[in-house]
Amino acid sequence: MLKVWGRNNSLNVQKVMWCVGELGLEYERVDVGGPFGGLDTPEYLAMNPNGQIPTTEDDGNVLWESHSIVRYLSLKYGKGTLCPEDLGLRHTADRWMDWPHNGFMQALRVPFRALVRDRDKAEPDMDAVKTAIVAGEGFLPMLDNCLTNSPYAAGENFTMGDIPLGCILNRWYSLPIERASHPAIENWLERIRERSAFQEHVLPKSS
Amino acid sequence: MLKVWGRTNSINVQKVMWLIGELGLDYERINVGGPFGGLDQPDYLAMNPTSKIPTIDDDGFTMWESHAIVRYLASKYASGAWHPNSAQDRALADQWMDWPYNGVYQNLIIAFLGLYRTSKEERDSDAIFRALNICGGELSILDSHLASCAYILGDNISIGDIPVGCVTYRWYAMDIERPHLPNLEAWYARLQERPAFREHAMIPLA
Repeated sequence: MLKVWGRNNSLNVQKVMWCVGELGLEYERVDVGGPFGGLDTPEYLAMNPNGQIPTTEDDGNVLWESHSIVRYLSLKYGKGTLCPEDLGLRHTADRWMDWPHNGFMQALRVPFRALVRDRDKAEPDMDAVKTAIVAGEGFLPMLDNCLTNSPYAAGENFTMGDIPLGCILNRWYSLPIERASHPAIENWLERIRERSAFQEHVLPKSS
Repeated sequence: MLKVWGRTNSINVQKVMWLIGELGLDYERINVGGPFGGLDQPDYLAMNPTSKIPTIDDDGFTMWESHAIVRYLASKYASGAWHPNSAQDRALADQWMDWPYNGVYQNLIIAFLGLYRTSKEERDSDAIFRALNICGGELSILDSHLASCAYILGDNISIGDIPVGCVTYRWYAMDIERPHLPNLEAWYARLQERPAFREHAMIPLA
């Protein structure tokens, strides 16, 4: 059976769990990371030398890096659904998985930590938060435009390309901040939030 | 013919060009970005709305994001070789392609911009020092992985070697102090034996 290591409120674990839910796979999830600790034990580091989450084991194959895991599970168990048969669509989905790495994730981290995760622990650095919000919002008109032309990241159907994007945009739109209107993103996010696997694995656990 | 937009000294263009060189594909490269500009032109934005480099056009199929391009070209032109056939090997190659996003890229850029694009007077030496320390720590994880294999996946080179290979060139090309990482150095020496790596990835830093 598929085994997943990682606490369920981690964004990167949520990407994998949502994918597992979409595919209807049986799994066992082991709480590690954050308050659960366990990332610095020799056994865990032997599986994942980065000491991060998530890590998975499928048929004896150990994997880490959330996007790599989502690609692997989609290709193995979701060919024709999460992983499109059409190679153009498949690589387009792939591309939207890479996209958040190039600035948007970095922008999201700052207000999320200051205004949500650590809000009771420390006074937020509002200058840094404002700068990051401007940076993050700067990425959205382009994405909005792309989602105007196609209902999902890679065309007409929901694919693996929507998974990192869905987790990340859901978190952005859950931040207590003012934001410009991006109708195509908002419509897409509404469709994403209707998915039962998303409701089970991502929506209730946003901190 | 395959068309590539981007300047040769961009690390993201280098990943794509190195693979193209390895595969011996015919290509035309168009200088855009940096001093060449052109990224804000409507024609370019229609292909790549992020206004970044590289972008490719392969028989009318346009693609951007360097790693996505590398995956696409390898799956189309080198299936079973650079792009492994087994789901497990492909996932492991993927994993090491994603890995630099978790710290190496960000800190390498801080160090590179600080050392090569900032005047001595304006340089933030503490930030550069911290960034290099993080890179060294991250690369020691890669060094440990390479203790038991000649390349990322084992005996044969694959797309898993490409982003980390381009990162490693920069690490050794920068005028900095580095920890001794013997497995990384041995693997890097193997990469330097490859003409396509030397031609496309080892562009002098400036």
